[in-house]
Amino acid sequence: MSSRQLLGRSIDLLIVLFGVSVVVFLMIRLIPGDAVAIMLGANTEVTPDRIAELRGRLGLDLPLPVQYLNWIGGVLHGNLGTSIWTGRPVIEEIAANAWPTIELAVLSLLLGAGLAVPLGCFMAEARGKGSEVAVRVGAIAGLTIPSFWLGIVAIYAVSKLVPGFSSLGYVPFTEDPLGNAQRMVLPVIALSLPILANLSRLVRSAMLDALGQDYIRTARAKGAGRRLVVYRHALRNALIPFVTSVGVQAGYLLGGAIVIEQVFAIPGLGRLVLGAVTERNYPLVQATILVMTAAVVLVNFVVDLLYTAIDPRVART
Amino acid sequence: MALKSLGLALLATTMLASGVCAATVDVAIDSSPAGLDPHLITAFNSAVIVQDNIYEGLTNIDKTLAVVPGLAESWDIAADGLTYTFHLRPGVTFHDGSTMDAEDVAASIRRVQSPDIASPLASRVTPIKTITVVDPMTVQFKLDAPFAPILTSLADIAIVPAELETNKEGLQQTPVGTGPFRFAEWQPNGFIRLAKNDTYWMSGKPALDEVRFNFVPEAATRQVGITTGEYDILPNLDPATALQLQGQPNVTVQETRDIAYTLIGMNASRPPFNDPRVRRAVNMLLNREEIIQGALFGAGVPAGPLSPALVNWAVDPATFDCYETDIEGAKALLAEAGVQTPISVKMNVLPRQDARDIAQVAQQELAAGGIQVELLNQEIGQFVQDWKNGNFDLFVSANGGSPDPDEYFYRTFKGNGSTNVFKYADPEVDALLDQGRTQTDPAARKATYDQLQTELACEGPAAHVAYGTLFTAVNSSVQGFDIYPNGRLSSLIDVTVSQ
Repeated sequence: MSSRQLLGRSIDLLIVLFGVSVVVFLMIRLIPGDAVAIMLGANTEVTPDRIAELRGRLGLDLPLPVQYLNWIGGVLHGNLGTSIWTGRPVIEEIAANAWPTIELAVLSLLLGAGLAVPLGCFMAEARGKGSEVAVRVGAIAGLTIPSFWLGIVAIYAVSKLVPGFSSLGYVPFTEDPLGNAQRMVLPVIALSLPILANLSRLVRSAMLDALGQDYIRTARAKGAGRRLVVYRHALRNALIPFVTSVGVQAGYLLGGAIVIEQVFAIPGLGRLVLGAVTERNYPLVQATILVMTAAVVLVNFVVDLLYTAIDPRVART
Repeated sequence: MALKSLGLALLATTMLASGVCAATVDVAIDSSPAGLDPHLITAFNSAVIVQDNIYEGLTNIDKTLAVVPGLAESWDIAADGLTYTFHLRPGVTFHDGSTMDAEDVAASIRRVQSPDIASPLASRVTPIKTITVVDPMTVQFKLDAPFAPILTSLADIAIVPAELETNKEGLQQTPVGTGPFRFAEWQPNGFIRLAKNDTYWMSGKPALDEVRFNFVPEAATRQVGITTGEYDILPNLDPATALQLQGQPNVTVQETRDIAYTLIGMNASRPPFNDPRVRRAVNMLLNREEIIQGALFGAGVPAGPLSPALVNWAVDPATFDCYETDIEGAKALLAEAGVQTPISVKMNVLPRQDARDIAQVAQQELAAGGIQVELLNQEIGQFVQDWKNGNFDLFVSANGGSPDPDEYFYRTFKGNGSTNVFKYADPEVDALLDQGRTQTDPAARKATYDQLQTELACEGPAAHVAYGTLFTAVNSSVQGFDIYPNGRLSSLIDVTVSQ
């Protein structure tokens, strides 16, 4: 990728982040009820002047454009704001909740994408056979079964099968590697299954396309072995749509993580942002969404770089 | 076979991981508290963690909701009802090692009263005008007028170290109290862990080494967690979950009469509900038994203004004449009040399953008398805002309730009371409310509140619907746990676990 392309990509990234910042800022404020109303909700000492005082202290009495400029100005100076509820910098809250989500997302992506390639190749090669149909039905099931349901059933089944297996909550890997692994098994499976199903179907169709191409026939005709034909000639071409999809799946992963963290009681970013929305913790919602967006955009940026490695034609255009 | 060996492998890793077990109880609650400062918290989830476990007040509330000694061993009330002298319990230390004395008590009361701290508990101690430290173990409060509920109120005023009197932020994240458990760890969105207070004043207590409050947002996960033993105590179950858990081995479901209640609020400043006759008619149209069966799975009792859990106060709702369903009588009353039926009104609904179900049953019942109700299923922020601004015809909601009748009635039904969202004002009720808080003779005070309950039941701005059953699921490895009618986990101090 040339430096001009790199620059272009960086500008794209800024535009996306700016757009998201405006949309998030407005959307959270469009939900009826504000933080002050909720904070004072159960408080028996609510007086109009106390509401006004709190609103003023939080800067919520200013016109929306001014509030936005105050916020975005802070962000540009590296200050994402402070949580309305705890008074701590939101960056600290995000950092405290980021690890479980990163671990969950990375492991799920590795598992899902890693298994999708061999599984997709198998389905393409064994097309129409009984075993392939079974796998394909499994893949469709994986796509359609909601992951929260799958998660709850898995918790229940494992607890019956293996009494004493801790599948809920989160323990940092550095504190207790085994406990960490135990608690990650089920959520990673539940989160990666839809990815696996999606990507393996994609690899299958891309492989079928590739295997029908003239150069494959040529390769076979010159006497190349099955393994060489499938993995060297066909797979490399089939991987291009696959890699694009992996980038798209990163967005799905963060969305899916919200549900999975909820089900498995994992203290991650999904829980954080969901809680922040219900509490109308504007700075926290805005900052978390912004950070998540940046992560997804960056992953796609890396995916674009990978194209060049897989498909040299991209670099030339 | 493959499954079995996988199971064995997992089991082996589990056993390696668990190691030596401390006596820990895992409680699962639905969400993380916003803060832990006992003078600032408003959420039930915060109170359930800190009150009685980390902090104690001068007095305490026992299982029958009666006042018993807490950090004060005893107290004297002067004959005029204006001076209270508290004799503190000797040998009580805070979790930071310092000794609790009268200075700490005085500072804690001042902290709650301070406009700078802005404690929601401030109204509970407004009658205290002067605080005198007589000696390190004696503290004296002078009130501006006799205020009978003060002893109950003091149970919720946590005693904190004097040096934190003006500290606004510190206690939110790291509490320091005198209670049986001290704060140990907070994993944001994960759990809060309390550890045994080794120097607790009651010798031999608590028996537990640790209590963990796990934040588990998903109801199904909590339910599976208690059946598998991942969690030991699940407070605050909804009736549907309680029914499902009742048959499970290893789980006992405890039932207590709740002091929290569901109600239908009426706007006393807007037609048609500004007319007491219309409010009476609403009560006559409601069939509380039917609502309890239809919306609460039969888990509840018809509600008068006070919960039967307040055994010393509550009037039996069967004695309220308007509680007998009487559609013709209600229609006649509406006609007498000049209401043209059918009349259309709107009802704001608290976003909670029981409130939604109650709203639907009530909608049918009110329709029989010609009151056509349109239900507004609101988002919580909007609901709270409209509730607070008195922006409703009717609403269905749930309230917490309190051990002393004054705590609930005065702020809710007094003209201009802080939670009188109905904009209800009745001079006779106001006079009784003022009278009730000044009476220190229990019998006379009871008579006042009996009269108030009868007044409020039929023509008050709130049609009390039901007191639910407070369900708590407890794993069979836990002994000695007993949920209190106010939902507090005060009995954790007596809990033991078997491995």
